[in-house]
Amino acid sequence: MTGTSPLAHPQGLAGIDPRGPRFVAAVTAVVLALTVLTGSVWLLLVQVLVFALGTVLGISRTPYSDAFRRLVRPRLAPPAELEDPRPPRFAQGVGLAVTGIALLLAWVGVGGAVEVGAGLALIAALLNAVFGLCLGCELYLLLVRARTAA
Amino acid sequence: MDTLLLRGVALGLIVALAVAVGLWRRRRDGQARAVPAGDLLTAEQLGTTLGPVATLVQFSSAVCAPCRAAHRVLSAVAQRSHGVRHVDLDAEQHLELVRRLEVMRTPTVLVLDDGGRVVARSSGVPSPAQVTQALALASARPGQEL
Repeated sequence: MTGTSPLAHPQGLAGIDPRGPRFVAAVTAVVLALTVLTGSVWLLLVQVLVFALGTVLGISRTPYSDAFRRLVRPRLAPPAELEDPRPPRFAQGVGLAVTGIALLLAWVGVGGAVEVGAGLALIAALLNAVFGLCLGCELYLLLVRARTAA
Repeated sequence: MDTLLLRGVALGLIVALAVAVGLWRRRRDGQARAVPAGDLLTAEQLGTTLGPVATLVQFSSAVCAPCRAAHRVLSAVAQRSHGVRHVDLDAEQHLELVRRLEVMRTPTVLVLDDGGRVVARSSGVPSPAQVTQALALASARPGQEL
């Protein structure tokens, strides 16, 4: 006996290669690691812009994802299955919130904001790239719970 | 140069923390633990009938890729186990249950016995073997050593 999923893919929503978001997370981790090492507000700005693209247009429309399609995917076997693009897109939004706030704080002169913001986002990016864990996605239920708590 | 060293150490600590969290999660995910004196769920609350032997209640959410993987594992095990039913609920549509059962992440899986009492729970994607183990808790009689 089995139930049907209440969250099956809506018709017409194209799936994405699940290795794409992992690759995007790996590139994101490198950029954020360099940001922590250099404290460069410009590097953080680049990552904020990429997160913004991923949030507004979807993770497949970021330059990192372009690199995956052109350089990596042709060398891989076709994916065993496709994945819903909504979870990684939501996670891009969480990344945008964390690094965006850090960028604003740095702009108004809060010391260490660049490093702390990049460091937090780096933990999430590493967990995604190395372990396939999506911390941003797991925040979703907690956010829904908090929003309706009042 | 000193600042660069300091930054390097900070980076090392961040990477170590991420790896520790990842390994801890990997070990814990899918591992069912017995729930003593668990809540009672009714067919009405679940929106479907209970399995005659056990029910696997999965909480999922829209932004959850591992929920799909968990769904496949649970429905496959339910299909080949006698009298076991798999129910996949959207956590957002069942916030009252989510709160009462303290579901913090998706996927969370509850194992109900034939009377609808929660006897075990796990979070993360379980392996088929872990689900079978958890189901054994449902058929154990109350008061029996597990």
